[in-house]
Amino acid sequence: MSAEREFQIVPIVQEAVVHNSRTLLNLQSLTASLFGVGAGILGLESYSGFLFYVVCSLLTAMLFYVVRVAPTSLASDANGGGGAFDTSRYFRSQVEFWTGGLMNGLAGFILTWTLFYGLVRA
Amino acid sequence: MTWISKAITLFGAVLLGHACYSAQEHSALQSFKAATATLTSSSLAVASLPVDIAIETVIAITVILFGLVLGTRPLRPIQWRVWAGKIEREGEEGFMDNDGEVNKDFVGNPFKFLETRPGFVDIRKQRKEFASWVKTSSTQ
Repeated sequence: MSAEREFQIVPIVQEAVVHNSRTLLNLQSLTASLFGVGAGILGLESYSGFLFYVVCSLLTAMLFYVVRVAPTSLASDANGGGGAFDTSRYFRSQVEFWTGGLMNGLAGFILTWTLFYGLVRA
Repeated sequence: MTWISKAITLFGAVLLGHACYSAQEHSALQSFKAATATLTSSSLAVASLPVDIAIETVIAITVILFGLVLGTRPLRPIQWRVWAGKIEREGEEGFMDNDGEVNKDFVGNPFKFLETRPGFVDIRKQRKEFASWVKTSSTQ
């Protein structure tokens, strides 16, 4: 009830939501394969490989925030004064923005990780 | 703008390919050494990756990542009021791709139906005109 009421007061443009999340998803799946290549070349195994992936995907989110979200989000006072690291101008959920890449690209990461590990250490 | 990100990505890909080739050659050399060491019974070399290849890999990944992030499409505000205000203020310029082309699904001003609706109609004047027209046609 309250969510519906809030949706009436602050309407959301669905096309913009889809556009933004698709842009982020494209970037995440591309970079996940890239990190797999890197982990395979570096020869990482088990936990250190997954740690590498977590760090790199957080770095991706950070860089995407700095390049695409921050310049307009910080300049406008219309985003509710969330301050730094606030993505509510472009994304509905903060958690999805910062940690969505961990789940979205994991399969691609493991695929290229194992492939390049096997290629380099043949 | 888009050629900058493509050039950065391409440069990083060249670095990554070189690092991959170097790592492969290194492991091949190590296995060759290990095979000959059993014959000559000399000491085994450490089989870990040389640090310059590791550094090159990390730098290549960072460069490609930077290029890919620069190549993403600009985002759009999701709140209706912010989105409509952006259209009002910037028009088509606010909804361009990196190539300088307007997005295909750009719909234009969402309040166009308010601005293009007909104004008020002076019904009394029209009635007077109609009455005079009836009068002139009936006299003829």
